[in-house]
Amino acid sequence: MSPAAMVATQSMPPIPNRSTSAAGLRQKVQMHDVNFYYGAAHALKYINLTLHDKSVTAFIGPSGCGKSTLLRVLNRIYELYPGQRATGEVLVDGENILSPGLDLNLLRAKIGMVFQKPTPFPMSIRDNIAFGIRLYERLPQSELDDRIESALHRAALWDEVKDKLKQSGLSLSGGQQQRLCIARAIAVKPEILLLDEPASALDPISTQRIEELIDELKPDYCIAIVTHNMQQAARCSNFTAFMYLGELIEFDETETIFTHPKERRTEDYITGRFG
Amino acid sequence: MSSEHLVKGYDEELRRLNNIITEMGGLAESQLAAAIEAVVERDSDLAGSVVEGDAKVDQLQRDLDNLALRLLALRQPVARDLREIFAAIKIASDLERMCDYAANVAKRSIVLDQWPPVQPIHALPRMARLAEVLVKEVIDAYVARDADKAYTVWMRDEELDEMYASLFRELLTYMMEDPRNIGPSTHLLFMAKNIERIGDHATNIAEDLYYLVHGTPLTQKRPKGDNSSFEVVNPGRTGA
Amino acid sequence: MTPYARRRLVNAVVMALSVAATGFGLLWLALVLWTLVVEGISAITPALFSQMTPPPGNSGGLMNAIFGSIAMTLIATLIGTPTGILAGTFLAEYSRGGRFGEAVRFINDILLSAPSIIVGLFVYEIMVVPMGHFSAWAGAVALAIIVIPVVVRTTEDMLNLVPNALREAASALGAPKWKVIVTVSYRAAIQGMLTGVMLAVARIAGETAPLLFTALNNQFWSSNLNAPMANLPVVIFQFAMSPYADWQLLAWGGALLITVTVLFLNIGARLLASWSTFKP
Repeated sequence: MSPAAMVATQSMPPIPNRSTSAAGLRQKVQMHDVNFYYGAAHALKYINLTLHDKSVTAFIGPSGCGKSTLLRVLNRIYELYPGQRATGEVLVDGENILSPGLDLNLLRAKIGMVFQKPTPFPMSIRDNIAFGIRLYERLPQSELDDRIESALHRAALWDEVKDKLKQSGLSLSGGQQQRLCIARAIAVKPEILLLDEPASALDPISTQRIEELIDELKPDYCIAIVTHNMQQAARCSNFTAFMYLGELIEFDETETIFTHPKERRTEDYITGRFG
Repeated sequence: MSSEHLVKGYDEELRRLNNIITEMGGLAESQLAAAIEAVVERDSDLAGSVVEGDAKVDQLQRDLDNLALRLLALRQPVARDLREIFAAIKIASDLERMCDYAANVAKRSIVLDQWPPVQPIHALPRMARLAEVLVKEVIDAYVARDADKAYTVWMRDEELDEMYASLFRELLTYMMEDPRNIGPSTHLLFMAKNIERIGDHATNIAEDLYYLVHGTPLTQKRPKGDNSSFEVVNPGRTGA
Repeated sequence: MTPYARRRLVNAVVMALSVAATGFGLLWLALVLWTLVVEGISAITPALFSQMTPPPGNSGGLMNAIFGSIAMTLIATLIGTPTGILAGTFLAEYSRGGRFGEAVRFINDILLSAPSIIVGLFVYEIMVVPMGHFSAWAGAVALAIIVIPVVVRTTEDMLNLVPNALREAASALGAPKWKVIVTVSYRAAIQGMLTGVMLAVARIAGETAPLLFTALNNQFWSSNLNAPMANLPVVIFQFAMSPYADWQLLAWGGALLITVTVLFLNIGARLLASWSTFKP
């Protein structure tokens, strides 16, 4: 190699790795061989994956692939319905949350969930947010007010509702209601946030607000988001999991999945060759 | 690509992209061949038509840029589709440069015709033939999406570089022999350099194709056979 | 005739028939109300509310009957509503498709359409006979037995209308089940549930048969719940069948009173339902 060429290689700076390296993040949730059944139907098949802390993991896949089901395993909300059961291990900070003796209510206070359709309670905006806080904490009024205000700030809703906290939560628009639900979820200071298609019922502007919100929440929470909008998954998440017919097909950094995925099925799905 | 998009229009647009590249590649080959023929045959009319023909290639590149931009904006391509479009943009740019070089060779041939034929001129068609082969092979590789074939082209450019280096030395010697040779030799030098650059652009296309197919860039250091940058010429000493 | 013209003709004919049928139904309702008003309006005097039921041939009022009706209706509502609401909550929130819940629902539906005279006879057997005398308590219990199925039904229906997503949202925050029901389900369904209660009250306001065997009647003022108590339906029954003009007039007045009360309760229930702030 000529001297000039050698010099050229040494002085060229390495291309910075923009995407979040998994190595730097703590593993918050680990799923080992998780199976889920709706009665006799086998909905999730031997799921093994890791959710990293302080990052967003998106779940994509065609309808009926099991992504929402997987999310609902994480806070055991399926226990409300008979005939639904999960097997395997789900470790959150090392503790298996599928063990039978676990206090489900405490678990759900630690793992927040926001649903596809905005579900404000039939109470005032203030009470909506206070509801969750009051479940497990005894706070003096002023501290409660502070928590409510900060939750609404974080949900980018404070400016719009600060003068009408006593009004019913149902008087807000769709996008505002969903942000209210997010504020309600983060007011109880969960460690993990599960978002089940949070923006699919909203208009584009509200959707973008929600995405911006997710970006702002990222440094403080482990977030899992289910979405059928691939561009949203691409925009919002650090990691993406592609699921199909109850199986986890591929799990990798979002940038990799959307520039050069390893699995044929993943590529076919995200490029719109099947769906 | 085995399967088609659910939206057929998308596939049609990608095919159009493909076709423009193929057309540009064909033009690059033919432009280079015609330019060299104009040099060897001292045919100014042919050279003139090569120069005029370059406008067509420029237009094709503009068309491809527009199409690619449209695809990016409207289809939100990801993964392989995105790499396809990205590669097409870069390859079109390389092909357009290659045609520019061919046109430059043609332009200089018109000037060269002023002088009587010079001896080192025989090396030029050999170089051009190899360059044409490289272009043809890399375009074939693109059409077939064959990364291995692209890699072969990528490696073969070293041969072209060595041919240029030897022609360089020959021309230096020639110029030192007689100052009257400097004029035509300089033009020849530039023409040879243009042909060598065509080869370099062919390796760029090969690298883009590799990335398209594999999703990771070709990071190996390409062997360069051209050390003409370090040629030291001492007057009085011939054949260094 | 073109198909279009034929369709229009059929449409017109059926429309006319529907309007006629509606008119026919409304006609009778209007006649009933009209009759009540015409016959009973002259009985609506302050005396109606301040004087007791008179002996035959005398004029008087209906105060003891009004008081008795209100008292027994109130007690029946107080007994029946919590029971009905809790049972309805059980059916809606706790027994999803369970066999026991199915059985309860089935029995409830039977009770809902049980002839009220059977209820009266039942309470007669279990309360009046052992106690040895008629009483307002027995009357209230009989009315309560009529209230319960109505409240159970409406409570269950209203709670079933609350979307599951709302319950899940509350559970997802870590709320225990009872809290979810009380603070979310009830609040969401409250309008409907209150409507159900009001409709149940409207129903028992005019029930005569059960009271015949339980509270009987009382000519005089009595606030003793352990004794027979006057009430409007039985008084109307008694006075209307009598040959005395005074009594008949009082009967019309009482009938008008009951009708107006039931009408107001029904209208109020509808207003409440439409004024609901809960949008599913």
